[in-house]
Amino acid sequence: MSDELKSRQFIALSLTINGKSWEGKVPAEETLLEFVRNRLGLTGTKRSCESEVCGACTVLVDNQAVSACNYLAFEAEGKRVLTIEGLEVDGKLDPLQEAFIRNVGAQCGYCTPGQIMAAKALLLENPSPTREQIAEWLSGNICRCGAYPAIARSVLEAARVEQTRKEKRNA
Amino acid sequence: MLTPFHVLHPTTIPEATRELQRLGERVKVYAGGAELLLLLRHKLLEAEYLLNIKGIRELNGIVRDGSLLRIGATVTHHRLESDPLVRECLPMLAHAESQVANIRVRNQGTLGGNLCFNDPHSDPSTSLLVYEAKVMVAGRSGVREMPLNEFLMGMYATALEPDELLIEVLVPPLQSGFGDAYLRVHNFQRPTLGVAVAARLQDERIAGVRLAVGCIGPKAERLGELEAQLMGASMVEAERVIGQSRPYLNDLLQPVNDLLGSADYKLYIAQVLLQRGLEQAVHSNGGHESVG
Repeated sequence: MSDELKSRQFIALSLTINGKSWEGKVPAEETLLEFVRNRLGLTGTKRSCESEVCGACTVLVDNQAVSACNYLAFEAEGKRVLTIEGLEVDGKLDPLQEAFIRNVGAQCGYCTPGQIMAAKALLLENPSPTREQIAEWLSGNICRCGAYPAIARSVLEAARVEQTRKEKRNA
Repeated sequence: MLTPFHVLHPTTIPEATRELQRLGERVKVYAGGAELLLLLRHKLLEAEYLLNIKGIRELNGIVRDGSLLRIGATVTHHRLESDPLVRECLPMLAHAESQVANIRVRNQGTLGGNLCFNDPHSDPSTSLLVYEAKVMVAGRSGVREMPLNEFLMGMYATALEPDELLIEVLVPPLQSGFGDAYLRVHNFQRPTLGVAVAARLQDERIAGVRLAVGCIGPKAERLGELEAQLMGASMVEAERVIGQSRPYLNDLLQPVNDLLGSADYKLYIAQVLLQRGLEQAVHSNGGHESVG
């Protein structure tokens, strides 16, 4: 091993996490999942397959869904990271969270933060998706309890609620 | 936890290739990480250094250059599925890219990374073979161009030398009159089988055809002999010829028995999807459908 490697490499990082700025240094190999869970204590984001298959660790980086388990933290430099904890605004849940509660879009709940964050990315890109588009998009988020119908219902309903609110605001 | 490594951030292609020469096997190119980080996590690969090429601006473009589209190595799958230029000029590639794994992988994984990894279970290479794409590779003695089918050598193997960097993929759109289709079956977000077809009919006979099959053997392959047999055939004859192509497909594609299905099953489905893909390509002129 070369001299250069005798010490770990720490990389300066400055980002926005759930609307707040964070500055510091992180080891080069630290994943975004380790960063939010271990460093920031934001444990809503779940670790599961660690292979970018299950979707339990989905967070948004500049509104794009990523697997936090397989995303190096230093890559979030200058970006906005949003986790499930950041969806609530001024004590009010996101329409997606409300819809998941109303429709019981979960059974055990372990995949739910990932499902909601993936759905959030979808609604940011396509505010009124069809059921098929929701199914296609969320096919990368696995729910071992099989709550898929209720999850799809929740997302459809949240999309409708947001659209109605938007129309009212614009009226 | 990933084993610690150092990350290098070159901003130019020569700087990147110099680092590859300097560090040899101790450095791995980091173009997106979708696959590399998994291999590192599972200790299938070791790296003292990651060469992060995402800061090299020239590698991040999608540019029309005469009759070609030049796609930079660090362009993500999601950009390829949604970019207006790609959708207009290379609709089959855009469709194949939209089928890659899931949205998180498509946001992170890049075309260059995908081709250099050459996972047998992959979507982009199959459609790129039908487009007759070329790759540009930078190394110590400058840049060389080679056809994609020569670049993709075998399972997880490419013609890339350890000190070379894939910088661009050059993709000529299909000639007018050609329709295309990319059909696949998949299981848990990974393709079991992918079939890409481009074809043109004239007077109800096949006047041009390109076929490729991916995922069932070591690497995606163009089906040159079958294409030659199909020239001049009617669609009814074509269906019969494809139906009889099993020994040829078996020799060429070397399908394996695995948890995704038996080699027999994969050959059968390959023939079915080739027949369907041909039908779809000649009739719908750019229509796309996903199976499974």
